[in-house]
Amino acid sequence: MILAIDETRCKGCNLCTKVCPYKIFKEGKKPNRRGIVVPELDRPERCTNCRLQQLYGRTLCGVCQLTCPDQAIHWIEEKPYELKKVAIEY
Amino acid sequence: MSYEDWYRQDRLPHIFCAGCGNGTIINCTLAAIEQMGWKKDDTVFVSGIGCSSRASGYIVTDSLHTTHGRAIAFATGVKMANKDLNVVVFTGDGDLAAIGGNHFIHACRRNIDLTVVCMNNQIYGMTGGQGSPTTPRGCLSTTTPTGCVETPFDLCELAIAAGANYVSRWTSYHVKELEKAVKAGLETPGFSFIEALVQCPTAFGRRNKFRQVADHVEYLRSHSLLRAKRDRLIEAGEPVPEDMFVVGELARRKRPALGVKP
Repeated sequence: MILAIDETRCKGCNLCTKVCPYKIFKEGKKPNRRGIVVPELDRPERCTNCRLQQLYGRTLCGVCQLTCPDQAIHWIEEKPYELKKVAIEY
Repeated sequence: MSYEDWYRQDRLPHIFCAGCGNGTIINCTLAAIEQMGWKKDDTVFVSGIGCSSRASGYIVTDSLHTTHGRAIAFATGVKMANKDLNVVVFTGDGDLAAIGGNHFIHACRRNIDLTVVCMNNQIYGMTGGQGSPTTPRGCLSTTTPTGCVETPFDLCELAIAAGANYVSRWTSYHVKELEKAVKAGLETPGFSFIEALVQCPTAFGRRNKFRQVADHVEYLRSHSLLRAKRDRLIEAGEPVPEDMFVVGELARRKRPALGVKP
């Protein structure tokens, strides 16, 4: 699972930057097409819910999703991780 | 299944201002309802007039946007006509305390099996920021340009005095606690009243030095006093700070209720 912000719903109130315990949300810099500064995600793989939601079978923290007044934060399915061969140089 | 399924996806994004806390309260209420395992066909949302009362229009179940202040009156009728329905009322402070004040008191007295979620933004937001019965002393609004001189209503105390079975107050910062409080209210037979203080950056915050949403949420966080802490302060004989509001579960009783599922 991976954290995602729905840009069509976000109104740029930046409440998520305040409530996330890991400070994953950061205030954005550039306005998007609708003139709204959508927050940026800083290393979203640190989110507990992203890593452990499926293992535990429930939403673990989810404070950002509950707090978001515009229902813009959700978790989307990731593609399964593919093994890759990596040549290691000695 | 998550609470997002209860939203009407075709109606989103909603018309609330950026940073308005009403969306947060709807999230918490729907999350609590989702945990109850209710069917969408057996749940009814009723609301009155105001910013907060637009909430029922964004939910996929049957709902009615009633006239100003008459949400509880309509909900009483729904509940008495069909006791199998689960009725949840969304109201604002102007809807509940000012225009629908008597309906609220008598619903508490009858102890009818409703759950009322009051989104208290301490101002009439939709009509342009007039002072409401819950505007705190000294706050500016369109109708109180030199600061409100009236003592505000304490809705929770009113509900307790009138006889509601479950009363609690939280803010839009305390999302998890609010979710648990709404769930406890839904489980309690009889009238359950949950007051949620929300930030209003457009009408209230703009005139009262909370132009930034985060400032207002920080104010709600820092000025909320847990009920247990207040009880400890009273026990120790220390004064309770006057500018703070008490949050937490304020009443849980087992008075005889009306309209409970047979």
